[in-house]
Amino acid sequence: MSADKFTRRNFLAGVGWLATLGTFGGLTAASARYLFPNVLYEPPLEFKIALPEEYPEGVTFVAAKRIFVIREQNLIKVVSGVCTHIGCTIRWSDERNRFECPCHGTMFSANGAVTAGPAPKPLPWYEVSLAPDGRLLVNERQIVPFQQALTV
Amino acid sequence: MALHTRNETFENGSATSGIPVVSKWLEDKTFGLGLINISLFVILNVTGILLMFYYAADTDRAYQDIKDLQFVITFGAIFRNMHRWSAYAMIALVFLHMSRVFYMAEYRRPRQLNWVIGWCLFLCTLIASLTGYLLPWDQKAYWGMTIMSNVMASAPIIGEKLKYVVLGGSEIGQNALSRAFDLHVKVMPLIMSFLIALHVIRNRTDDLIANPQLHGDAEVSVWPNIICRELSKFFIILIIIMVAAILFGAPLEEEANPSVTPIPAKAPWFFLGLQELLSWGAPFWFAIVIPNMVLLFAFLVPYIERGQTGGGVWLHPSRRLQNILFTAFVTVAIGLIILGAFFRGPAWRFYWPWESWPLH
Repeated sequence: MSADKFTRRNFLAGVGWLATLGTFGGLTAASARYLFPNVLYEPPLEFKIALPEEYPEGVTFVAAKRIFVIREQNLIKVVSGVCTHIGCTIRWSDERNRFECPCHGTMFSANGAVTAGPAPKPLPWYEVSLAPDGRLLVNERQIVPFQQALTV
Repeated sequence: MALHTRNETFENGSATSGIPVVSKWLEDKTFGLGLINISLFVILNVTGILLMFYYAADTDRAYQDIKDLQFVITFGAIFRNMHRWSAYAMIALVFLHMSRVFYMAEYRRPRQLNWVIGWCLFLCTLIASLTGYLLPWDQKAYWGMTIMSNVMASAPIIGEKLKYVVLGGSEIGQNALSRAFDLHVKVMPLIMSFLIALHVIRNRTDDLIANPQLHGDAEVSVWPNIICRELSKFFIILIIIMVAAILFGAPLEEEANPSVTPIPAKAPWFFLGLQELLSWGAPFWFAIVIPNMVLLFAFLVPYIERGQTGGGVWLHPSRRLQNILFTAFVTVAIGLIILGAFFRGPAWRFYWPWESWPLH
């Protein structure tokens, strides 16, 4: 086995190895990339909910979107209904004035801050605006401070 | 090895080295746990194939198909129950199998590699159970998987990507169900069959390496003596599983509903210890770092332990420290599962099992 000489045999063997490794490596990389979908048929992160008038004073859960719509007179805010710990759907407790997670007992105050339990982050507040047809438009890509509200 | 006493396969013969054994009855019993696990694996494959005839991994159909299996298809419930109870039994018995090997220090040279293969099989059992758990597409399945996928997401750097690739998206939907189904019915059985074959072959080879005297000893022939004996054990296990399937039904909750988290949402029981740990703090530490340290330590056991004595018998006095540490670990692991299963109510607060939960 003298590979030191550049012969036609060595060259062809090298080409063969290159093609084999290239194919193998390429297919491995391709199948790894293949696992990540490019298009998701999931609900959009920016969506319309009902007209502002339909949300009563206080906290209303929008089950289909897992968000809470909070109305204080003419101010409307939207907060995530997904616990920041491991993603359970939280509940609003009127008598205790806080959000409670059924999974590991995290409590979030009315402004979304963690007051007890294992959750690492406060609840995110989403940007809410009025769509041209008068319905509320929630944008989950846009996190806003909890003081920010929509005046209707 | 069934043809010889355990001590013959351990050349140091520590049981006969003068130190009294802890229990004369226990001494070198193996309880045939390996064969029981193989039997359960066979039952799981056969019942799994039967279940697949009526099951489609489609989010619109999956739950209805399980309902049909449960209530419409003749004997559907029996096969579903058998599949579920064998899976649960296998998780417990694979763990007992590992514990048995630890207490008898049978992971030592030349068996280190086989301990590692067994360790892989334990992980495979958990992955197969977890992926199977999602398939009925009920509330338990959906929320169990929510908890598990968010635990993955809490891993540093690759966490979010890992969750994305496991679920095939950012939330649990059709892609997640398709992937769980694929892993559960093709990938895991394939990998496990291969590893089990390797495990058994290595076990025989290692016995011969440890004690070459075993070789060429043919007072009992494999067929029919050993085959018949092992087959009869398999039938006993089959009978037990069938009776369990007739007596106890596998649970099935309402159809998966992302907007309502059940109170309390609990992970599959074999991950309840992990969920209990999770309730103590950030997922990164309690769900990633601590469990993985434990797994890594278990993986490395044959390379860490330096002792030479006490192999091949239960609870040998020269391994007191190892046995105490391991027993403590097992107690904590089982304790966490029991705590999560029976002592946790709404909001993961502590309740005695006989206390009623304030549901409102």
